[in-house]
Parts: sequence; structure tokens; C-alpha cells
Amino acid sequence: MNFLQPILLVGLPLALLPVLIHLINQHRHRTVRWAATMFLLDAKKMTKGLARLRQILILSMRVLAVAALVLAASRPLAGGWVGLAGGKADTLLVLLDRSASMEQRNLETGESKRSAALDRIAGLVETTGHRGEIVLIDSATLEPTPLTDAQALRDLPATAPTETAADIPAMLRKAVDHLAASGSGRTDLWLVSDLRQPDWNPGSGEWETLRADLAARETVRLFLLAFPETGSDNLSIAVRETKRVRSNDGFGLLMDLAIRRHGPDAEGGETLVPVEITVNGTRTVEHFTVSGPELVLLGHPLPLGPGNERGWGRLDLPADDNPADNSAFFVFDEPASRKSVVLGDDIPAAEAIRAAASAATEPGIRYEAVVLGTASVAQIPWEETALLFWQAPLPAADSVEAALLQQHVAAGRSLVLLPPPDEGGGELFGVKWGEWTDGDGEAMPIDWWRTETGLLANTRNGEPLPVAELGVFRARSFEGGTLPLLRAKGEQVLVARAIPGGESGAEESLPGTIHVWGILPRADHSNLATEGVVFFAMTHRALESGAAAVARARSLETRPRALSGLPLTRLLDQAGSSDVPSPSGLAAGAWEYGEDEGSRRLLALNRPEREDDTRTVSPEALETLLAGIDYRRIDDTVGSGASLASEIWRLFLATMALALLAEAALSLPPKPEEEKEANPLKPAT
Amino acid sequence: MPHDSKRDFLDPAVLGKLLGLELNARHPMVGSVAGRHRSPVRGSALEFAQYRKYVPGDDTRRLDWRTWGRTDRHYIKEFEADTNLQLCLVVDTSGSMDYGPPGATRLDYARRLAGTLAYLAAQQGDATGLYSGATHFGEEAPPRRGPRHLGVVLDQIAALRASGESGLAKALHEVAEKIRQRALVVIVSDLLFPPEPLREAFEHLRFRKHDVSVFHLLDRQEVEFQFDRPTRFLDLEGGPSLLADPALIQRRYREAVKQYLGKIDHIVNHSSVDYHRVFLDEPYDQVLARFLLGRNPKTSRTAR
Repeated sequence: MNFLQPILLVGLPLALLPVLIHLINQHRHRTVRWAATMFLLDAKKMTKGLARLRQILILSMRVLAVAALVLAASRPLAGGWVGLAGGKADTLLVLLDRSASMEQRNLETGESKRSAALDRIAGLVETTGHRGEIVLIDSATLEPTPLTDAQALRDLPATAPTETAADIPAMLRKAVDHLAASGSGRTDLWLVSDLRQPDWNPGSGEWETLRADLAARETVRLFLLAFPETGSDNLSIAVRETKRVRSNDGFGLLMDLAIRRHGPDAEGGETLVPVEITVNGTRTVEHFTVSGPELVLLGHPLPLGPGNERGWGRLDLPADDNPADNSAFFVFDEPASRKSVVLGDDIPAAEAIRAAASAATEPGIRYEAVVLGTASVAQIPWEETALLFWQAPLPAADSVEAALLQQHVAAGRSLVLLPPPDEGGGELFGVKWGEWTDGDGEAMPIDWWRTETGLLANTRNGEPLPVAELGVFRARSFEGGTLPLLRAKGEQVLVARAIPGGESGAEESLPGTIHVWGILPRADHSNLATEGVVFFAMTHRALESGAAAVARARSLETRPRALSGLPLTRLLDQAGSSDVPSPSGLAAGAWEYGEDEGSRRLLALNRPEREDDTRTVSPEALETLLAGIDYRRIDDTVGSGASLASEIWRLFLATMALALLAEAALSLPPKPEEEKEANPLKPAT
Repeated sequence: MPHDSKRDFLDPAVLGKLLGLELNARHPMVGSVAGRHRSPVRGSALEFAQYRKYVPGDDTRRLDWRTWGRTDRHYIKEFEADTNLQLCLVVDTSGSMDYGPPGATRLDYARRLAGTLAYLAAQQGDATGLYSGATHFGEEAPPRRGPRHLGVVLDQIAALRASGESGLAKALHEVAEKIRQRALVVIVSDLLFPPEPLREAFEHLRFRKHDVSVFHLLDRQEVEFQFDRPTRFLDLEGGPSLLADPALIQRRYREAVKQYLGKIDHIVNHSSVDYHRVFLDEPYDQVLARFLLGRNPKTSRTAR
């Protein structure tokens, strides 16, 4: 329990005053010479039970009354949760989950989880009269923001709703870094979250170091203000992919959609969901029948009509618990050509790659591949190249070539690093070439490949690629393969994805993909070229991921700085959760950008689909994640109206009054009739 | 009466007031000399008692010749034989009799009652005796007549000292055995002991044809138990001292007193004992006047 006037608690020993007075009274007894001892003995024998209990109760009531008075004067604080322990903190560090799922609200009050949490914490600060520093770290920007007062928590743009996902380990990491940098003393760390499993990412390797760092800080207390309840009846919609195709009457779209149903009725029954479809401002409504928790539509056709060759659109669900997951945006334009460049002097390998990359897989899209010698770096058409095969020694980190490659990946394009025949070069993106390995005429047996994601993932219908049939006779080892995709026996990684800065920082640092192939499509190295299925799939998957960056219409997930560096010209439409058009990349919407009138591109920003995953971290998992950390979990619900701290001195005054009343009732003398009867002055005759 | 500071329990004013009242026995007495009290022995005094048939051996001088002449039968005329009374004072001197402020203890009150009664009895020619003690009688003066013996009894009363445990019931049995003739036994005590043994003692005395009176001396504080703060009670009869909070036990104490007095009432009513509950703040002359009037056959109806 916390007190606004804790100094007055020194008066708490006064509660023992009645006991002290009682003892003094006992010692101040007088002595009388007494003849009728036999009555005394009888009376004492009879008073051993209830009368003694009554006396103890009277004394207890007096102690309680004084204690309640002192406690009331100390202005105690309490709420609908267990009280804070210990003294006041110097710093209040608020870690706010601003993800889309935190916008789930109580339909009666309109209060969202995020706003409820802010109200609770602001109320706590105001009630406790916190005079120390208040710092906010929100999940969207991960920037520590010092606050002037509690009211700022409600008003700051940094606490406004977003349609992003949250990364709780990253937030805690930022908090630990901030504590280390600022040298804060006693700190109360308030982590506000709805405990969504994707946000907490229990599998992240970051947790172990976080646990160690937080446990080592004895002056930090972690309070987890949790809103784990899921919506009673909520629907969410997401557009996974949009493809413009030609149709008989112009153009149409083939869309991959997902409509998810949450809540207690999600498992059974069918729901007819009206979806409002807006294309370039024209609205139509289409009904979808959702049975079960999820409806996934692959290649759902949407006719665009004449004149709509390019534009934007959005899908809207009817209003429900969470308005932040009711919209999904898409943009469409003429598909860009899939241009690949192979930079290398190894002609057989380069030609094999060129052949694979220039083979068309989709009608209406132009596939193009060129081979350039290692000396022709300057000739690479960087702006048009979706995929670059680099079979040259890795340039030094401070070289022009390295800067160009960095820019290429930063723009969201793909890069495949191939093993140069001789000199490996320096280290780039954490990758460094090693030695060539020969199989002595024998093919290296394939041990393992990653089937769930990456270049060698299973096909859409779940069929695995025939990777096992690969024959690799010569391969070059490398360092820096963050995410291995293909491994030969003997733990040698043949293909991997390189993620500079580690797995967690990948998306933020470089939007593009970097793959490292230790094998070449040469007949003396492998049968990649002859058994072309795997090689073809690897090439085109790398090409597809890079093609989005050069496409005229592309889709990105909302995240901080998602729009940074883009010459935005126009907001086509934005989801209704934010009143102000947000170029920060935190709100979903459709944008147009580009320097020139003729080369303007379209961009759809949508919340990460994992935000629609309503699974929460179980208490057991939470215990494991925060093991060793001094933390207190406070569960709250939206619209409960509860506060984290409220003054309860009235309760103590009422307790005091009740104690005094009880004491008075217990101290009442016996009834006069009894007294009369017990005092017989006359003998019976 | 000679004035002696040792006999300050005798107040001449009170004696003067009470001399006009007779000390009567409720039952016939057997005395050694003629007196003012009825005797169970039929004699030839002035008050006619009854006629009885003559039997050989009777004194022929007591034949009623008039009846013989009228009826031709021999009858003896009998008359009430008046005699003197033996007053046996039994004073309890157990430690509890020392209760009260110096000069106004329960024993002082008992001295006044016993001394005054002894004087009144002697003045009307009755024999006076004294038995005093706790469990046994330390001092005893068998009843005798005469002013000299009165002086002895009064000296013994003046010399009484309270000490030791109470054993009055046992002592009363001794008294019942020691007094041979019918007597008026006046017991002065606080009776602060379990009352059950008193029943047998009183019945023993009644069996021996004694007229038993009891002055039960109590202090109001002992009954009402009015204390305002914790008190250590020192037992006057040598028992352990007790520390008690009166507020805590007052109700139970009064219940205990009530039960005790109820038992006493039952015993004295059952044993036909002339019982007087006396509070030490009552003037003893009024107590004695009430006692004497209650025993007077002419006034007893109004007095009691």
C-alpha cells in the first residue's frame, strides 16, 4: 500500500496506546484487605471465558480505531489491484504497446485498451503526486520521450493509435538501454500490453539477455498492466497479395484475402460478412460467408472496369470491437518488368542464371536478364534491377560498390551473392567467403533444407521442392549466413539468407533480401542447371521479392519510417483510426509517390497480418519469459473504470467509526434488572 | 456499671435505651433459679397450666380438692414454672472478622452486639456465657449469673482478636455438646465460608433444644463490589492475594453473592434460626432493638 503522507505513519505505534494504558492501569492497582475471597474466586472462575474474550475484543477495537485514524491521516492509496510496494520511484518509465490490437474497445464506453491504460497510468501519476521523471517508450517509434506531466500521456502524438505491430522484447531492450544511458535511480517500469503472442515473440533469443539485464537492476520494478481479454465478436480483414490481370472487358484484380473471426462464436456457425470494396473511390458491397475462425480466399477476382488500369482500393468491414483491423488497402498498376543482372566473369554459370531469370512465369510480365562482367559495375541499371547476382569478390565496406549494393538492398530489392572463383574479397553484410570444398567426384549429400519459408519453401499447395535430388560436387563455404536455407551433410551451409544486424533488426535496417549461394549452376559444380526445378524456383522467388521494390504498385507493412525517403505526393486514402494523415508509416493507407509525373508509383500500407492473431501469452509462458525479474502483473479490462490508485482514507475513517461503535457496544454495562437481582440486601423470609 | 476503656464497646446511652426491652427466649428454658422465662417443668407458681390425673407418689398437697368434691375424682392442678435464661454468645474470631477500618471492624461490631446482649441478660438476672474462636474455641466462659461473671465475659469480649481460618460449623457442634441445658445461643459471624455445613450445625443445636439466633455481619462493599479500578485483594484469612479487574468480574461476583445468600436463607428458614442479616453501616442499637422486639411475644407481630 502506498501513502501520500507516509511520514505520518511514524504515529502508527500510537495504536498500542490502549494496550499501554491497560497495562499501566493494571499496575496502578490498589490493595485492599478482603474477607469475601470466596466470592472473588467464584467470580474469577466464571469469568475465564466470554468475559475475557469481551475484554480482549474491547482492547482490539480500541487499537484498531487508533490505527485506522493514523492510517487515514497518512492518506493511503489503493485500487482494484494489489497496492504498490515500497517507496516512490525517481523515474516512471512507461512502455506503451500502440499496436493495432490495442485499439480493441468497449462498445459502450468507446474506450480502447490503449486509452484505458493511459488513463490508468495518468491517474496513478496524478493521485500519487509523482514528482520524478516520466519517460514514454512507445512500441511504434521505440524512442524514449520525456514527459512534462501525466496529462501529456493522454495528449501526445506518441501515444496516439497506430496500425503497427509491437515488439515487446525490443521495447524492453530500449528501456534497458535508456536506463543504462540515463543512470536512472529507483525506476518503476510500467509495461502496457494486451499480451498478444506475436508481439511478445516468446521464441526470440532477446529474452534471455533481457531477463539477465532486468534482474541485475535491483532498483527497477516492473509492473505489467495487462489487457488480455479478446474481443467478444470481432472481425479482421487483410489483403495478402494483389495481382492485376487482363480480362475481357479491361483489367481485373486477383486478390488473396483473409477474413478472420474472433471471439467465443468463432469456432462454430456461419457468418455472412458484408465487405465494402472501394476502388478508386467507387464503393460496392460484397458478402462473404465465413465459417470457422478464418476465411482465406486465394485469387479472388475483382473486376476493375474500363479506365481503372491504375489506382487504389480498400476493403472495409462493418464496425466492431476493434476498428483498427477493419480495413485493408491495396494498389494496382501495370506490372513492372522483372529485370535481373548477373555480374560475373564465370560465363557458364552466368548464362545458366540468365536463362533461368529471363524465363517468363506469368503472362503479361516482361522478364529480362543481362550478364555483365565484374568490371562493368557502372553499367548496372540500379533503378530497374529487381535482382542482382553478384559473382565478384565482395567489395570493401567503405567502397563505392559496397555503398551501391547497400542502396540496392535498402530500396527493397534482392541481392544474391555467388561464390567468386578465386579471390573472395572482404566482408559485406556480415558475409565473408571461405574456401572451396570438393566432393572428390562424389555429390555432397543434402542433409536439410528450410521448407516453411525462404527460397526453398514448399509450394503453395504444400508440395516440397525436389531439393533432395540436388547433386553438389563443389561448393564454397561462407560466414554470415544468418538464416540457413540449405545444408549438406557435415553442417556445411550451401544456401542461406544474410540478415545484417541479426534477425530482429532485419526489417528495420534493410527492407530488401540478401541471399548467399555457396553453389553455382555449373555442370562441374552441381546439377542445379540440369535438374532445373529447384534452381528455377530459387531464382524466381528471389526475383519476386525484389520485384516488389521496382513495381509501380507495391504493398508494405506499417512500421516506423516505412515512408521515409519516399517523395510522397498524395494520400489516396487512409484508415479512419487516425484523424491526421500520417506520413510516419504508422497508419494504414494508400499513397502515391514519385518525383516525376510520369513515373509516380503507388503504395499501400497495411498493418502486419500477425496483429490479427488473437493468441495471448499464457501465464506460464509469461512466468518463463520474466523469470527472475521482480515484476507484478495487474490485469485490467477496458471500461472497468478501475483506477490504479485511489485514496481510501474514507474507508479507514469508516473502519475507525465501526471499531468505536463496537467498542461502545462491548463496554455497555449489564442491564439494570440484572444488577438489581444481583444485589440482595434483604434476607429472604 | 464501671467505665473501662477496654469496654468501650458498651455505650451507656444504648444500654439505657435497651434496658426497657426484655430479652426473651422463643422456647421454654430450663434454669437453675426462678426467673421471667417460661420453663418446660410444671411447677406451682401463679400461672395455671393444666389438670392432670393423680398417680400414686404425687404430692397430695397439690390435689385440687374442689374438683374432687365436684367430680369425685383426684386431679393434680399444675402451674407454669418460670425460670431464668442461659444466654450463650458465640463470636466468630476468624481472620475475616478483622475486615473494615481500624476501630470499625466487623469484630468491633460483633463486640458491641455481644457485650450489649450480655449486659442486658445479666440485668434481667439471666446467666451469660461466651464462646469465641475460629475453628476451635480459644476462649470460653460457661453461662453463669452474677455481676462478677458478667465482668469476666465482658473482659473476654474486649480481649477478642481475629485470626485464622473460619471453622464455625465445627465449633457450633462443640457448643451444642458443651451446653447441657436449654439456652439461647446467639451466633455473631460473617459466615464467609461455604454454607452447607451450617445446616447440620444448626440442626444439632436445635436437637439440643437450644434457641438459635444468628447475626450475619456483612459489609455492603462485600455484596455490591463497587470498585472502579484493578485491585489486589489480600485475603484476611491467609489465602493467596488476588489481582482482579472489578469491571471484568463484577457481574459474576454479584451472581456468586446472590447464590450464597440464597443458600443461607434456605438453611436458616429450614432450621428455624432467628436470622438477622446486618450491614456494618447499620446502627447496632437499632439492630438489637429489632432483635429484642422480635422476640417479645407481645410485640413480635408488629416488630417482625
